[in-house]
Amino acid sequence: MSEIIVADGVTKRFRQPKRYSGLAGAIKGLISREFTEVRAVEDISFTIRAGEAVGYLGPNGAGKSTMIKMMTGILVPTGGALSVLGRTPHEERMVNAREIGVVFGQRSQLWWDLPVHDSFELHRRIYDVPEARYRENLAHLTRMLGMESYLDRAVRQLSLGQRMRAEMAMALLHDPRILFLDEPTIGLDVVAKDAVRKFLTEVNRERGVTIILTTHDLQDIEEICPRLIMVDDGKLLFDGELKRLRTALGARRRLKLDFATDPGPVSLTSARLVSDEGASKHFLIENEETSLVDVLAELGGGHGLKDVSLEEPDIEEVIRTFYQQRPALVPQ
Amino acid sequence: MLAALRVLPFLVQLHMRATMEYRGAMILGWIAMAFSYASVYTAIALIVLRFENIGGWVWSEMALLLSFHLLGYSLGAAFSFVQFRQLEDIVRLGTFDTLMVKPISPWAYLAFSGFNIGYAGHITLALPLMTWALTQADVGWNPTLVLYLVGALVSSALITAAIITSIGASALVWVRSRHLYSIYFGFWELARYPLNIFPGIIQAIMVTVMPLAFMSYVPAAVLLDKEVPLLGPAAAPLALAAGPIATILAMLYWRWCIRNYQGAGG
Repeated sequence: MSEIIVADGVTKRFRQPKRYSGLAGAIKGLISREFTEVRAVEDISFTIRAGEAVGYLGPNGAGKSTMIKMMTGILVPTGGALSVLGRTPHEERMVNAREIGVVFGQRSQLWWDLPVHDSFELHRRIYDVPEARYRENLAHLTRMLGMESYLDRAVRQLSLGQRMRAEMAMALLHDPRILFLDEPTIGLDVVAKDAVRKFLTEVNRERGVTIILTTHDLQDIEEICPRLIMVDDGKLLFDGELKRLRTALGARRRLKLDFATDPGPVSLTSARLVSDEGASKHFLIENEETSLVDVLAELGGGHGLKDVSLEEPDIEEVIRTFYQQRPALVPQ
Repeated sequence: MLAALRVLPFLVQLHMRATMEYRGAMILGWIAMAFSYASVYTAIALIVLRFENIGGWVWSEMALLLSFHLLGYSLGAAFSFVQFRQLEDIVRLGTFDTLMVKPISPWAYLAFSGFNIGYAGHITLALPLMTWALTQADVGWNPTLVLYLVGALVSSALITAAIITSIGASALVWVRSRHLYSIYFGFWELARYPLNIFPGIIQAIMVTVMPLAFMSYVPAAVLLDKEVPLLGPAAAPLALAAGPIATILAMLYWRWCIRNYQGAGG
C-alpha cells in the first residue's frame, strides 16, 4: 500500500492578542500589542497508507481538529511539510477537495430547510459526478445507511442520527479516496453510534476508502480503527496499533467490589486497592493477564460479595496513564 | 471551470426555495424595506422642494442620484450584503470550514447560495425613479452616454460588492467584523447627497478609502454635466474604473484573508 498522507514535523501555532483580567485589563487589551502564541500542533510526523483506518485521538484542545484542518487544506501549517495524495493541501485545496470527503460531527453541510436529496444533488454538481455513477452510489449508500424513508424530508426534520448518516453518505457520493471525520459520533445515542461505526468499518474494508477519524470515544477507535495516533497538548504521544496500547495500558482496569456489609480490609495480590468506602472497594488491576475469574478466585467466598463491575479505562484515563508510563511506550 | 459555473444558478435556485419556506417573513421584510426607503426619499424630497436645491441639485437631479445609489447598491448587495454580514457568525460557528473543503470558491458559494431576491423591491423602486429623473434632466443622449450609464451602474454595483466582501472577509482573520458595516453605512448614507455639500476631508475619504462617491454622485454628476470637486475632468473615467479597481483589491484581500484564516475552535 502506498503512502497517501505524509506529515513531517508539522507545526501549527496561533497568535492571539494577550488578554488581561478585570476592567482595567480589558482597556489595556485594546491598546496592547502583546500576543500569546498558542502551539496547537507541535512537530508531528506520521505517514498513512492507502486503505488504512486511523483514529486520531486526544482530549479537548489536543490539536486533533487543527491537524484535520491542515490535512484538508483549511489551515496553513506554520512549519514542517504536509502532503496529502502527493499535494500540499493548502496550496491545492480545491484539487485535493475532489479526492477527499470530510464530515464534521458538529457542523452540517446539508441545507437545513430543504430535503436531503437537494443537498446531494448540489454535491453531485459541485464535484461534477457523472449522473450514472451518482445514481449508483446514492442507491448503494441509501441501502447501507437505511435512508430510504427520509431522503425527501427537510433536514431540519431529521434526528441527529439520521442527519449524521446523510452527512456521511454525502461525503462519499464523489468516491473520495480519503474520508476525514471530525468527531462523527458526538452527541449520538448508542444505536446511532453503532450504525455509524458499522458503516465506517464497511466503507473502509469493502470500498478501500482510507479513514482518518478524530474522536474522544475509545469505542469508535476499537470498532473502526486498527491504528491509533494519540496526541495531547499538540504533541504526538503514540502512533501504533491499538492492540499495542491496550497491552501497555489495559492493565489499569478498574474493579469495583460491592459487599452486603463492610467486610473489613480486603487485600488482593491480583489487584491494588485504591479506595475503600466500607461496603464498596475500588481496585486497579495492573496486569493484563489477570482475569475477573482470577480475582474472584483469590477473594474466595464468605465476604458477602453482592456485585462486581470491571471497567475499561476511559480515554482521559488512557492518556493520563500513558503520560505516566510514557518512557516505556515510545513507538518503535 | 464550466462545471463550477453550472453550479451557481443551482445554488441560487436552492436558496430561493429555502427562502420560500418562510414566505410570510420574506413579504413582511419587503414591506418594511419599502416603508423605510419611502420615508427617507420623502424626507429628502421635502427638503429639496422646500429649499429648491441641495448643493445646486434640484429634485429631478437628486432623484437621478438617489436612483443611481439605490440601483447600484441593490445590484451589488444582492450578491453580497446578507451573506457577508453573516460571515462573522459562519466563522465563529466553524461553518466556514465546510466551505473550504469543497472544490468551489468559497466566495462564489457564499455569494450565490445567499443571492437575495429581496433586492427586487429596491430595483422596482429605483428603475422608474431613474427613468423619470432622466426624462426630466437635461442630458444630451448619444450611444456613448447610454453605454456610460450602463458601465457606471455596473461599476457602482462592483464597488458595493467589493466593500461588503472586504468587510466580511475581515471576519476570517479577526472573527468580528460586523461593526465595520456601521462605518460603511455611515458613508453610504452620505452618498445619497451631492459630494460638494460636505467638508473637504469627507470628500477626500469618499473618493479614496471609502469610494462611495463613485457609486452615485460622480456618475450622476457626469451624466448631468456638473463639475465634480477634487476629480475634475477625470471624474468620468474614474467612475467607470472605480468598480473594477475596488473588485481587484477586494479579491486580493479576500485571498489574503483565506490564507490567514485561523478557524474557530479545535
